[in-house]
Amino acid sequence: MKHCLIVDDSRVVRTVAGRIIQDLSFTVSEAAHGAEALEMCRKEMPDAILLDWNMPVMNGLDFLRALRREDHGKDPVVVFCTNENDSEHIGEAIRAGANEYIMKPFDAEIVESKFSEVGLV
Amino acid sequence: MQESTFNELADLALRNSGQHFAPTKSYLMDARLSNISRRESFATLDDLVQCLKARPNPRFEQEVAAALTGKKTSFFSERDTIEQIVTHALPQRLKLSKSGKLRVWCAGVSTGQEAWSLAMRIGEEVGSPLASAQIEIIGSDLSTDCIETAKRGVYGHFDVQKGLSIHRLMTNFNRHDNGEWEIKDELRETVFFRRQNLLNPASDLGGFDVILCSNVISSLAKPAKRQVVETLGKQMLPDAYLFFGPDESIEGVSNTIKPSRDMRGAFVRAASDSATAAA
Repeated sequence: MKHCLIVDDSRVVRTVAGRIIQDLSFTVSEAAHGAEALEMCRKEMPDAILLDWNMPVMNGLDFLRALRREDHGKDPVVVFCTNENDSEHIGEAIRAGANEYIMKPFDAEIVESKFSEVGLV
Repeated sequence: MQESTFNELADLALRNSGQHFAPTKSYLMDARLSNISRRESFATLDDLVQCLKARPNPRFEQEVAAALTGKKTSFFSERDTIEQIVTHALPQRLKLSKSGKLRVWCAGVSTGQEAWSLAMRIGEEVGSPLASAQIEIIGSDLSTDCIETAKRGVYGHFDVQKGLSIHRLMTNFNRHDNGEWEIKDELRETVFFRRQNLLNPASDLGGFDVILCSNVISSLAKPAKRQVVETLGKQMLPDAYLFFGPDESIEGVSNTIKPSRDMRGAFVRAASDSATAAA
């Protein structure tokens, strides 16, 4: 079973996204900010990461840049999931190494569609 | 819903679009007409039907029939068929073309996503022979409202996140400040939309190299299915390809359209009938 790490400072978003992603046959773990997520990735690289942008301690973009410098840090498929829905933010995320981008609000169909685009389902 | 209301609406659908409603599907009528019913302040569909009978209005009747088709679509919903068209059918047609011009008809295109998806995918053929071909895409639908939406090419937050990768979204759309996304002008140069009832002749559309008609015929009564296939067949240029949805069958419907021997998923005109195809 594939493993997805959900990184978001909102417990509600983590819970909702977690249920959706579990229904796609993933095991799910959670982190509340980028620094916590980076520590978790150093212990075990997930197959996929659903990543918020604005979080305390370390934001999503800084986390992504740090992740891609780690050993095997290019392996996880990273899907941003954020309220930052303008073209500039999307472009910046892709340049930093994001594989896909979900604009909040989202539903189960969007998550499945985006995971399908990057070959996760 | 009263039985008489169901019967009136089922007749209306059959008359206008050829769509067949089994009595067990009356809930679909409720769902598909809820927007129109609410907009026109009808308390029930019984009231809507009474109004249609008391004050016949062909335009409103057509609108009701179009809403009853209930076709929902999304970008790249027919991904495999689009891939087959772009990588096999169009290149094959281009080899036979003296002018380098190709025409594609997306019939029953609803709010346009299928036609735009095809245009996007063709645009990705950089360096292939298709890149230098002139390819025109015509999208048609029974519903005037759907065609207006397709022409506008403006789609909402949820629409653009289903079936579209972020790369395709960024390449082919501009974002409005209100969060909607609009098809870029470059794509609009090759895609055109118009209203077309597939039960009626479409000879003024001209001939096509490829026709894609997905999720239309499966809901039609057999005589209507026969009529639609005939309408489509008449617009096929010699040796052109016709694609339906992956689960749609025309078995027993047409003697002139048959599965292609060399193009997976496609139909062609029978050899003896090609001479009468659109020129």
